[in-house]
Amino acid sequence: MAFDALPQPSVKAPKVAAGLIAAAVVLLGVGSYIGLFVAPPEHFMGEVQRIMYVHVPTAWNAMLALTFAFVSALFVAFKQDWKWDARLEAWLEIGVVLSFLLCMQGSIWAKPTWGVWWDWDPRLTTTAVLCFAFVGILALRRFVEDPVKRATWSAVATIVAYVDVPIVYFSVKWWNSLHQTQSTPQTVSSAMVTPLRINAFGILFLMIGLAILRSQLARRKLASEMAAPLPETANVGGVA
Amino acid sequence: MTGGIVVGGWEFVWAAYGLTFLALGAFGTSIALRLRAAKRQSAEEER
Repeated sequence: MAFDALPQPSVKAPKVAAGLIAAAVVLLGVGSYIGLFVAPPEHFMGEVQRIMYVHVPTAWNAMLALTFAFVSALFVAFKQDWKWDARLEAWLEIGVVLSFLLCMQGSIWAKPTWGVWWDWDPRLTTTAVLCFAFVGILALRRFVEDPVKRATWSAVATIVAYVDVPIVYFSVKWWNSLHQTQSTPQTVSSAMVTPLRINAFGILFLMIGLAILRSQLARRKLASEMAAPLPETANVGGVA
Repeated sequence: MTGGIVVGGWEFVWAAYGLTFLALGAFGTSIALRLRAAKRQSAEEER
């Protein structure tokens, strides 16, 4: 099997994306309002703990975006379909943006609680490796001109780099990390679970909406790139 | 920090929320602008 028919940009997709983004804006507004002004401060971290309502949903969705990138990469590798290559590009970019945002939010939270902006702790180090690995894949896509090689190489690189995602997740369990273990509804007060869940769905809807638009952009770029070049000499009026 | 308890810190909270919405907004705007440019380019190519 080989890469063949180019996917056409969808007419319905931008409308679906707009609906998801609108829903995300409402959810993030409500979730952040509850997180900032309604939820109680945590006993030890006080007001600073409110960063959790954006940091944890960003973490969940960053891991999810990179998982979608991994699934897209598997489809590119085994089905060799341009549609999945466009999706791979979209999810890679979103995963990288969310991962960098995650590191910056974590750094802002670390300063008042740990006393430092950054520490080479297992969770932070594996997340930094994750960010740079996927930035490298985006750079690879940027510099490889042949679309088939670009799709194949970036799919293989994504499958390899994805190995770090479970390592990031389990790092707090496997090693003696400064970072706390995962929060679950059982470990978080019910008053704090509500804004956490609302913001998680807000970022989820936003990233799906943006992924749809970014995938449409990748399809258009691919179609433009693979369009047949114009003939050098025009055969006007059928006369050679 | 006082006796293991963090006091204040609202500036860090605002910084984290501000950065989050700024980054997500800027990324969304960047996609919208790039998509508009790509649509314009494909319309010109079709002409």
